[in-house]
Amino acid sequence: MAANRKIELNIKVNNKDYKLFIASNKRLLDVLRDDLGLTGVKEGCAIGECGACTVIMNGKNVCSCMILAGQAEGAEIITIEGLEGPKGELHPLQEAFMETGAVQCGFCTPGMILSSLVLLKNNPSPTEEEIKEAISGNFCRCTGYKQIIEAVQLAAERMRGGGM
Amino acid sequence: MQNFNFIRPDNLEEACDLLVRYKDRAKLITGGTDLIIALREEKLPNCLEIIIDISNLKELNYIKEEGKYIRIGSGVRHAEIANNKLIKKYAPVLSMASSVVGSPQIRNKGTIAGNIITASPAADTIPALIVLDSILVIRKGKEKRKMFLKDVFEGPNKVNLKSDEIVCEIYFEKLPLGAKSNFIKLARRNAVDKSRMNIAVVAQQNKNKEITNIRISVGSLTPIPERFKDAEDLLLGKLPTQDLIQKAGKKIAEEMINKSGYRWSTEYKEPVVKSLIDRVLNGIVEVE
Ligand code: FES
Ligand code: FES
Repeated sequence: MAANRKIELNIKVNNKDYKLFIASNKRLLDVLRDDLGLTGVKEGCAIGECGACTVIMNGKNVCSCMILAGQAEGAEIITIEGLEGPKGELHPLQEAFMETGAVQCGFCTPGMILSSLVLLKNNPSPTEEEIKEAISGNFCRCTGYKQIIEAVQLAAERMRGGGM
Repeated sequence: MQNFNFIRPDNLEEACDLLVRYKDRAKLITGGTDLIIALREEKLPNCLEIIIDISNLKELNYIKEEGKYIRIGSGVRHAEIANNKLIKKYAPVLSMASSVVGSPQIRNKGTIAGNIITASPAADTIPALIVLDSILVIRKGKEKRKMFLKDVFEGPNKVNLKSDEIVCEIYFEKLPLGAKSNFIKLARRNAVDKSRMNIAVVAQQNKNKEITNIRISVGSLTPIPERFKDAEDLLLGKLPTQDLIQKAGKKIAEEMINKSGYRWSTEYKEPVVKSLIDRVLNGIVEVE
């Protein structure tokens, strides 16, 4: 069996540039959690189904468990940690999730918020159906989704109002 | 996780050369879903040395119109195909199928060629590409060959491609003006679940409402994706009635049993396929 070689990886994560030397068989998920300590990226199923590991890569939501680290060379990644404002304030989506009770155990929340963020960037006034579709790759075992949909609607309203 | 070296070639030529040099000791990665699962489960042969990442090659990332053909680079993602204007106009059936693959996250990463190469009988885009009579352009080193998509499948999860070959392009003729197409997916859970059954249809009628062009493919029914010629022949040249559509559904169920044998799932699939055919045809055909 071939030995793992180390590869160089240049990525921008949450607006910060990194040059890393990592084992070539790491996934993007491993690099974010283990090398950069961004534990808001969760590992659930590890087979691309639950969406807990969702990050935004070059503007699109993807499952970081389904990307080899080397494939992220040159990419711009946003994780939940990157949503914090300059003075540590929460993003309107985070506020809304808390207010509507959309966070219960919280395991799905980072991925859920990032998928919602991609939706709202492309579509500031989504219908309920569009919200459902946008988060269809993020599973929540606690809330039954209703509160999550409400949260996205509330955040959308506030963000349209120039909140952010 | 298995060990390997990771190489990201700058262009297609380099990728082809690497594959020719390493053959079985190399694997290509694009969308990666199935490959990464296999790597984690350590299911790839021990001789694996390198993973060649072609997910960023511009040469494989295009959708273009050329005369009567639409050409799609093998690295194009499902999400792009689903939203592409040319595809919506000339092959809406493919746009519909691409828009229901996996989840939004999977569609942002997964490629059209990936869906073909893994040859899962349940892959959503395959029946759509089959009714478009798609052709693959395959490259090995500097040589190119072409092959009908339907001929690439050898069995469930098996394609007849050599380890040093790369699928570069998928192309097909634009659907004729006036042709209608439809795609329905039946899954237990909409997102992610490997599609249980899906059906793609192209149909065209003349002024007298007779069917002049009909192509039907159903995923997950037979070991190898294909068009259902017996049912097509039954409909071709006829004035469609509800009765005829039901007969076509029956034909397809028969073909399924002939090809796959009677299995535990047949009892479920038989009535489902009949009602799906009914829905998908009634969606686009003007019935007497
Ligand atoms: S951990 Fe990546 S999708 Fe479940
Ligand atoms: S809050 Fe527990 S999984 Fe969603």
